[in-house]
Amino acid sequence: MTTQTQALGLVNTIMMASGAALLVSLAFAFTNLISSGHASFNTDSAGVTWGLLIVTYVFLSMASTGLAMVAAMAAMFGARQYAPLIKRCTWLSIVTLVAAFATLALEMGHPFRMLWAVPLNFQPASAMVWMGIFYSICLVLLAFKFTKMHGGNWSGEGLTKAGFVVEVLALGTLGSAFGLMAMRPAWFGAEVPLLFLACGAVIGVAFAVLINQLTYGMDDKAMPEKVRSVMTGSLPKLFAATLGIYLVSLLFRTVNGLWTNAEGFEVVGAMVTSPWFMIEVIALVGAFVIMINPAMRAVGTMQVVAAVATIVAMFIGRYEFVIGGQLVPLFKGAWVQGLISYTPSATEWMITLMAFSLVFAGWALGEKMLNLAAAPDDK
Amino acid sequence: MAKWGMVIDLEKCTGCQACTTACQMENNRLPGESWQDVLFYTEGKYPNAQMKWIPRPCMQCENPSCVTVCPTKATYKTEDGVVLVDWNKCIGCKYCMIACPYGVRFYTDEKPLIEPNVKDVFKGDGDLTWNPPYKGPQQDNTKGIGIQPSGVVSKCNFCYHKISKAPKGTVNLSNDDPALREFVPACVRTCAPTARYFGDLDNPNSEVNRIIAAKKGTRLLEHTGNKPQVYYVTGAGAAGGTVIPGGRSSKDKA
Repeated sequence: MTTQTQALGLVNTIMMASGAALLVSLAFAFTNLISSGHASFNTDSAGVTWGLLIVTYVFLSMASTGLAMVAAMAAMFGARQYAPLIKRCTWLSIVTLVAAFATLALEMGHPFRMLWAVPLNFQPASAMVWMGIFYSICLVLLAFKFTKMHGGNWSGEGLTKAGFVVEVLALGTLGSAFGLMAMRPAWFGAEVPLLFLACGAVIGVAFAVLINQLTYGMDDKAMPEKVRSVMTGSLPKLFAATLGIYLVSLLFRTVNGLWTNAEGFEVVGAMVTSPWFMIEVIALVGAFVIMINPAMRAVGTMQVVAAVATIVAMFIGRYEFVIGGQLVPLFKGAWVQGLISYTPSATEWMITLMAFSLVFAGWALGEKMLNLAAAPDDK
Repeated sequence: MAKWGMVIDLEKCTGCQACTTACQMENNRLPGESWQDVLFYTEGKYPNAQMKWIPRPCMQCENPSCVTVCPTKATYKTEDGVVLVDWNKCIGCKYCMIACPYGVRFYTDEKPLIEPNVKDVFKGDGDLTWNPPYKGPQQDNTKGIGIQPSGVVSKCNFCYHKISKAPKGTVNLSNDDPALREFVPACVRTCAPTARYFGDLDNPNSEVNRIIAAKKGTRLLEHTGNKPQVYYVTGAGAAGGTVIPGGRSSKDKA
């Protein structure tokens, strides 16, 4: 009971803070959206069309898939040590996906029209259609699985495996939505779905580390034995591995972009001189150094530092990818010799804050009301 | 059935932007959302700097990437080769704007290019973004004709409300034939130096095909495989269809 009291103190604080942030951001965003509509965004037909909201959508979709992957580790790969994390990661996967959908809905002109227009006018050639189908199936499967777990039924590995496959297809297709765009060289490529899956793994593991540490107040002594075992053993190692893979891909994508003379890649040159890129690299390398050091990676506070640094860095990285791919002008308006400039508006930032507040408030609420600590061995 | 296409003779184009103005008046467009733009840019440095320009309507591609990315088939290609937008089906996801290599699509729920916002003065009825004092063609949302509703994407439709009414079997739509003038797209009809030609690309004897063959017509960004149905024939002042520099290749290395 002492453990629960300690953990719930921090969870309560996070719930209050994220709940307040959610209310403020919702009020701000909706006031502006009602008064000015999408004119309150800094997106522009002659410039950046997909702005910060798409960055947030992509990031949260990656987080959702990554968390579902962590939750499926036991069923997919027989890694039973991850079993104590299944319920919590599944719940957060649901919450992040709902936040992603909410963000996307606010970005679209007619989000409700989508509900009938997509099924009635099915366009199989559109990656966006398949992404929507796969993520909708993911949400249903995750919700079904969570309901079963919450009712004490931990059977159904087949369902988990099917969910894993659909998650991979969903995030892969989201990558394809960008990777298919031959007219935007900084996005184009068959490897983009793989990049997205690598990003999903990094972000998902970072979130899994963060919420499990926050649940137990960053105190491994407060954790149940099996949770402590995975949090000091295989999860940090998985974190290090996913970070390493992503860092290698970042290194070579950056070198490739700087080396080539091809049109459209000049954005990489602009990107690497930005202080945001420096922050991204320092945060990722710092997190990687923490996670490959056996002494540091076992410490709760260091794990939280690495997880937060990774989440921030990966968000910057998604911004660079989504926005960067649009900064080389096509045939828009008067000819632009340089790169297009874009700074998100206050409304866009507030919707992003709303999405992240929803994630943390949703997680904290689940922690308090849905017994996320339950694990299969409890039965 | 004709496959409508356009030829723009850059040897004749003076960059006067009458086409832009005519399109704006015909289709209720405002500055910043012109379906038919003339793009200006500079090439070289003083004392050898030159101003270049290129008129840019929708290319009405044979393989339009905007059609294949559209999740609701709101963007579609007609039998006579024109790419249209069904505003009743458009969900405003803007994927078509991302996928268009030519930047010809517009989502108008944005900050106005010019303040005060004319749309605030002439407020739209219902879903329509504004209510101009002059009226263009009769509203047809299923073809993206008329005043743009909010939350959807629009584009040049080759003045489909005009060309679709041309008599069957028409090969050339030009000002030369008084009987056909009403069916000629606004930008073609208004072009003072007659730099634009419009006709059936499927008919080998059409004027557009003859000019493409005689003057070696080219298309923009051939590498994308979109195969535009707008061809350019090159000239001295305006930009050449094949020699339009990218932002990078036109820049001096530091």
